[in-house]
Amino acid sequence: MNGDTITLAPGVGAGARILSDAKREHYRLAWLSTVDHKRIGILYMLTALVFFVIGGIEAIFIRIQLAVPNNTFLHPDTYNQIFTMHGTTMIFLVAMPVLFGFVNYILPLQIGARDMAFPRLNAFSFWLVPLGGILLHFSVLSGGGAPAVGWFAYAPLSETPYSSQNNVDYWALALFVLGIGSVGTAINIIATVVSLRAPGMTMRRLPLFTWINFINAFIVVAALPVLNAGLVMLLIDRRLDAHFFLPLAGNGGGSPVLWQHIFWAFGHPEVYILALPAFGMLSEIIPVFSRKPIFGYEFVAASSVAIALLSFGVWAHHMFTVGMGRTADLFFAISSMLIAIPTGVKVLNWTATMIGGRLRLQTPMLFCIAALIQFTCAGLTGISHAMPALDWQTKNSYFLVAHFHFVAVGMIVFVILAGVQYWFPKMSGRMLSERLGKWSFWLMVIGFNMTFVIQHFLGYAGMPRRVYTYPDLPGWTWMNLVSSFGAVFMTAASLVLVYNIVLSLFRGKPAGDNPWNAWTLEWATTSPPPTENFHELPPICSRRPLWDVANPDRPDEVVGAVDEPIRLPDKNKTSILVFIFSEIGFFGVLILAYLYFNARPQPGPGPQELNLFKTAIFSVCLFASSLTIWRAEVSERRSQKGAMAAWLAATVVLGGIFIGGQGMEYYDLFRSGVNVSTNLFATTFFTLTGFHGLHVCMGLIALLIMLGLTLAGDFQRHHSTALTAVGYYWHFVDAVWVAVLTVVYILPHLR
Amino acid sequence: MNTWQFLISAWTWNPGVLAAGAAALAGYVAAFRDRRRIGWLLAALGVFFFVLLSPLNALADGYLFSAHMAQHILLLLVAPALALLSLPRDFSLPKFLRPLANPCVGWASGVGAMWFWHAPALCNAAVASKPVYAVQTVSLLALGTMFWWQTLAPREAQRISPLAGVLYLFTACTACSVLGIILTFSPVTVCASYLHPTDRLGLLGLIREDWGMNLERDQQIGGLLMWVPMCLLYLSAIFAQFARWYGATPAPVQPVLKEKIS
Repeated sequence: MNGDTITLAPGVGAGARILSDAKREHYRLAWLSTVDHKRIGILYMLTALVFFVIGGIEAIFIRIQLAVPNNTFLHPDTYNQIFTMHGTTMIFLVAMPVLFGFVNYILPLQIGARDMAFPRLNAFSFWLVPLGGILLHFSVLSGGGAPAVGWFAYAPLSETPYSSQNNVDYWALALFVLGIGSVGTAINIIATVVSLRAPGMTMRRLPLFTWINFINAFIVVAALPVLNAGLVMLLIDRRLDAHFFLPLAGNGGGSPVLWQHIFWAFGHPEVYILALPAFGMLSEIIPVFSRKPIFGYEFVAASSVAIALLSFGVWAHHMFTVGMGRTADLFFAISSMLIAIPTGVKVLNWTATMIGGRLRLQTPMLFCIAALIQFTCAGLTGISHAMPALDWQTKNSYFLVAHFHFVAVGMIVFVILAGVQYWFPKMSGRMLSERLGKWSFWLMVIGFNMTFVIQHFLGYAGMPRRVYTYPDLPGWTWMNLVSSFGAVFMTAASLVLVYNIVLSLFRGKPAGDNPWNAWTLEWATTSPPPTENFHELPPICSRRPLWDVANPDRPDEVVGAVDEPIRLPDKNKTSILVFIFSEIGFFGVLILAYLYFNARPQPGPGPQELNLFKTAIFSVCLFASSLTIWRAEVSERRSQKGAMAAWLAATVVLGGIFIGGQGMEYYDLFRSGVNVSTNLFATTFFTLTGFHGLHVCMGLIALLIMLGLTLAGDFQRHHSTALTAVGYYWHFVDAVWVAVLTVVYILPHLR
Repeated sequence: MNTWQFLISAWTWNPGVLAAGAAALAGYVAAFRDRRRIGWLLAALGVFFFVLLSPLNALADGYLFSAHMAQHILLLLVAPALALLSLPRDFSLPKFLRPLANPCVGWASGVGAMWFWHAPALCNAAVASKPVYAVQTVSLLALGTMFWWQTLAPREAQRISPLAGVLYLFTACTACSVLGIILTFSPVTVCASYLHPTDRLGLLGLIREDWGMNLERDQQIGGLLMWVPMCLLYLSAIFAQFARWYGATPAPVQPVLKEKIS
């Protein structure tokens, strides 16, 4: 360890030798089949760029329509469709993919890893983005035009009686698919950070970009399943005539407010899912361009966790206008204001990093500074929305539109542009033009502020949001015109940026390994990095390993001990535990919905239709299968192939009996005329037990694969944690059934 | 009766509670020679007495679900944490208690205590019957101690690692929040005993009229207390874990690093 560099363990850099030159040449063309995290990262960004153009054109249409009063440029229906598509596209198909793209590209490099933990899962997650995008846009061809229900799809507007075309179905399916992809990526990120760090890269030495995205992955894993549960319920409403969210005349109707709770329980964390990666980029770029380490690393790191936790407790501030009662309003007002503390801490840290630094005002830094100022404004207007009384006045006005565009564009997009300028040299090997970069920066600053600052005042002047046009009221016309003119500048800025990228790809100045004199590991390899990322790594003893290399006489203080060993838990077990965590969120929503609708007996069939005795019998089979799979694991550890196959087969049989039993129960219910649309008891019952059954079936497939591998002798050649991972999943499925059994079958008997 | 009269008059001097507090203090003085941290114990006893002797107890006794919830939180999360902080730093558990010092047991007892005592039948029993109430109080203190032991045990070696501690607290917070959400938005009354209070202290007029506390609002506050302030307690504990994690930096060994690089 006394040499110049740490040599990587054998096998880590082996990628170069596995493929012949001809094959590598082939794979250079095969972007479509790539599993390389760098290419997937770029694919993410290119996809986001395509959808950014689409969403941007939609934004331009909106601003043209609103430029003058009583405009007839767009039909009201078309306007609704366009603003729905604009919101959905920008959030799910632009912001999330581009941020995942950055994480995919940069994060493994920053921790000195060869690739993401699960490269094929990574590719799968990526390809779900174009699939989701196509599904969403396919709705345009489905007859009724694009969905016109807003990106939040409030019930009952999104229900069949009010949106009878199948465009909302496409919308829900698209988001469902995208949600699955996001959870996959998040699991991958967590497993990568936990299991694939380079020697010396302890958790306390993680660069902030990596740390914050690691935390962010937990928010994704917890929040997206909540949305997916809501989307499933919406689809069951629409396709199977249920009414989770549809109030009916008289008794027994569903609750549109429940949709809002579910949507915002996802939607508020979603804001942070977009903002935290941007925070991570700010925390990388600002120190490098201030030539000074970040001020208060620990505070930036810990406040990210605080944001993650608080983000789940404040969703109801999106619902002050729903009428939740004064008590709930009060609590949520307080907790929403608290969020200002950790975000304020971060802003303070970034500002303090700049103070006393030798600033380099190049394009990435300019974007960061503008983002910081605009984000502070967004934070101030945000706090004003935490006051219910003020929120009632401004919530449905352009003041709110201005607020969230200050977050989403003024901060997030600006930081993304900073990130593009900062990391483009690493990705392409060429520098972006500084002159064109400054042009796009100033056009963007002018355009953005022209468009959105004035909207605050429009909101205060009373202009409501989500309207396709407005009367010629004093002040409204010129303000809208100014706002629309701003969009012209932003378009110009985007065009300059794309021109800059294309031009620099061919004619840009060669970048070299580390054009910005940055300190994190992605700059320790060539630009662009080789397939295997690193041939060797510098020693990692602090948070700025390249600084230590460049300044051997004044290195950073060592974090922890110099040769601190790192613990790398197994990636299979880590990922399945994170997956189970996300599934808890999904089932949690379904169980809560069941409890909510069955707290009072529903008219029509109820829990009394269920046969506890029969259910108990096939439940015992399921619980017994937890024991058999445990025995299979023990046999695997003892290398007893026959016993392992037998125990696995027993598990499959027991699981099969359970599914058979559930099938019989369903059959009996159908025969007595109870189906998913009968009443809310039946709806929630079939949804909950049906999704559990689906998970059991998935588990059975995994078990059969394990059985096949066992019989083929795979586990004898090398021990693997795969069976343990499947075992965890299977125990989880059993645990869910314990909860379902208690809530659905046993609880009614205790009343 | 107005609010001030109530706040002054509703204190009780429950001899059992006072004796238990005195016994704890005497036991502490007798057991430990190093009494530098006794302040924490006094704070814990203060919380303990406040919960069981103050007007809060009078309100929780059949009148307000939310007061009951406040007691619950203080007994489960605040008093045991303060008591653990009062232990001398060289304290180790007696052997027979060691099996309880397990992260899974700790997590399950902290979260389980909340869920268990809010099952409608048990919640009602605790309000209706004094012995059940006593059992509830003791069990909350004991289970809370088991929960906090994992992160607040006197010696570093007895605690779980800081990042595991963050996960431990994060998940506990989520699990309690879910119960808080259920209570807040539940369309039915969870604890039916509070539906028809027997107005022993003549407070009902004050509570319903002056304070404007109806049943629905009462349960909502109870749920929200469990959801929001409780989460903030966990959040503070999470920050303590980060302070512990980042604070545990051994002295830098500069020369070795220089050698490695050069």
